[in-house]
Amino acid sequence: MATSARTAAPPAARKVPQHRPGSKLRRHNTIVGWSFILPNFLGFGLLTLVPIVVLFYMSFTNWNAFGTADWVGFANYERLLTDGSFRISFLNTLYYTVLHIPLTIVASLGLALLLNNKLRGVAFFRTAAFFPYITSIVAIAVVWNLLFSPDSGPINEVLRAIGITEPPGWLTSPEWAMPAVVIVGTWRDMGYYMVLFLAGLQTVPRELHEAARMDGAGVWQRFVNVTLPCLRPTMFFVTVMLTINSLKIFDLILVMTGGGPGQSTSVISQFIYRRGFEENQFGFASSAAVALFFLCIAVTVVQFLWNKKRSV
Amino acid sequence: MKRTFAAAAGIAATAAIVLAGCSGGTESTDPDGPITLTLSGWSLDTTPEFQALADAFTEQNPDVTVELVGYDPVEYNTLLTADLAARSGPDIITQKEVKFVSTFQEGGQLLDVSDVELPDGIGGASSYEIDGASYAVPYRQDSWVLFYNKDLFDAAGVEQPDGSWTWDDYEEAAAALTTDASKGAYQHTWQSVVQGFANAQTGADILDGDYEHFAPYYERVQAMEEAGSEVAFNTATANQLTYQGEFGTQKAAMLPMGTWYVATLIAQQASGEANDFEWGIAPIPQEDASTAGLENEPVTFGDPTGFGINAGIDENKVEAAKAFLEFAASEEAAQVLAGIGITPALLNEAVVETYFSVDGAPGDDLSKFAFAEHETLPENPTSSRTAAIQGILADMHTAILSGSSSVDDAIAEAQDRVASEVGTD
Repeated sequence: MATSARTAAPPAARKVPQHRPGSKLRRHNTIVGWSFILPNFLGFGLLTLVPIVVLFYMSFTNWNAFGTADWVGFANYERLLTDGSFRISFLNTLYYTVLHIPLTIVASLGLALLLNNKLRGVAFFRTAAFFPYITSIVAIAVVWNLLFSPDSGPINEVLRAIGITEPPGWLTSPEWAMPAVVIVGTWRDMGYYMVLFLAGLQTVPRELHEAARMDGAGVWQRFVNVTLPCLRPTMFFVTVMLTINSLKIFDLILVMTGGGPGQSTSVISQFIYRRGFEENQFGFASSAAVALFFLCIAVTVVQFLWNKKRSV
Repeated sequence: MKRTFAAAAGIAATAAIVLAGCSGGTESTDPDGPITLTLSGWSLDTTPEFQALADAFTEQNPDVTVELVGYDPVEYNTLLTADLAARSGPDIITQKEVKFVSTFQEGGQLLDVSDVELPDGIGGASSYEIDGASYAVPYRQDSWVLFYNKDLFDAAGVEQPDGSWTWDDYEEAAAALTTDASKGAYQHTWQSVVQGFANAQTGADILDGDYEHFAPYYERVQAMEEAGSEVAFNTATANQLTYQGEFGTQKAAMLPMGTWYVATLIAQQASGEANDFEWGIAPIPQEDASTAGLENEPVTFGDPTGFGINAGIDENKVEAAKAFLEFAASEEAAQVLAGIGITPALLNEAVVETYFSVDGAPGDDLSKFAFAEHETLPENPTSSRTAAIQGILADMHTAILSGSSSVDDAIAEAQDRVASEVGTD
């Protein structure tokens, strides 16, 4: 695409300035440029930007999807602060995020380092590691539910075989349901972030590794002092994306536990879904969505500031 | 040249996409000419009731055509809400779940249809009454009964249900029926299976925020799981068991379930998906002997399915739409529905005969009694708070049956949550 555009463009570009003054050309180019991004931008504007703006408005109203929305000021936010379910969902979201981010980074970076070597069949293993990411979430939920089955599931049979007499109840126990969901979340996401890390690893200069080896650095020292610093831009990107995706976790919870047992795996996105689409309290649901929005923004801004400080 | 063309094409394409979203509109209908009514339904391929009613109605009223609008069954209310909010909803709105009726009514989406005449003895009409006015008419009403496998009863030497059972009899029979190959009963994972009976048979109202009446019902389930006479809730959820699989392949001798399963079981036995065995339906076990026995009306629960009229309907179509509602509630429509295995809201002797004349249906008198005679209380009271309360009670259900919380703690928590998050006024 890029090459064909480059070969086609020059004749036209060379012709134009002979007939038109510079400002006209610039305007012309601007219009052409705009026209190229217009379809995408219109889609973004209509389907993303406008709904988000409307969401902010709706969070100050009481609306059941029909008729006019009544302005209620900050009532929804006040209710949010005292709502026990929201507090539980908020804490569960943080719990998932705090557990999911480091686990996924370690797993995906480990995989990337492993599959960055020249092995026989490395392409196959890279593809295999990516499979969970493109597998249907419903299939994932059904299979993992069977694996986690407390009495007859393979996971607990293995645990019993190695001498753990009382293995956890996983999805049936309020203490273990969230760790179980995190395990599945990590398993699903690690292939995707592995690809990002693999791309990052290609940018680590070989000379640095060679120099370090000459200086007598071991494998671990080279990893900590050469690979990791060179990976910093990738690591930053992965962390930001992982954080946002973890805070927004929804599909996995919905199909695996539905928030249960009790409310032990209920998260903010699910809280929004239930209040909005099951109970038709769109105003209240919107205020929770705004809260989630600001939570994501706040965490991301902190990460950006921290990254900036480190890079100076 | 090329770039100008590309730009023009881009703008044209975008404009086309934007404009496509704004097309459509309503044309006015001539009251004397032919009328087309639209009616919302779901899974039209596998849910024949809508087409059957539409065809039967058009046969009587040749100048009115009923056109079906199909929706996804899982997201039915969400999609319908979106269409109604955009004023592009169907003329006749099928009420799939009672808990959404008050949302539609409060949103001004439903026409008052109090003047549509209903036949005597039709069930479920009260679910559509709000402040003394009716906003829909019921055409279908499933209620919960006890399915039982006669072969397994005979094999175990246990006496078959006679219509006089209380839950104690049920528990006892389940224990006696349990063998290495099959359990005495299967209780599906839905909250209705415990809570629906508890509400109906103790006369409790979930809107009042007091849930102590659930305790004995949950304790019985736990006792039966403990005794091994039914599959544990955790196993059923982890292995994603289906009630059709458990009862249809004889892994359980008894199954409390809604009457919709009658048609499914007949079809699955015919196709070989379910095993070939003798079965019947009995009245659901009762709280105590006062409502049990063939001389009494057993108390059970179930919600109706009904038709309402879109408040934004073309004025000239209102009469035809009301005529359709009246037809859907009539005995004629009940006969049509019974003929395809659907439980009509209106049950009389003739309708019951039609229902049981299907090949593969049980022929015994107890099954007919169980199907026709019952006091069916609504599962979902008609209120804007119902959806939120049922959500909280669903959490309580999983907390108790997964074993992660004691019955009393879970009930206390549900009461606190309803009081603080929903309100009990």
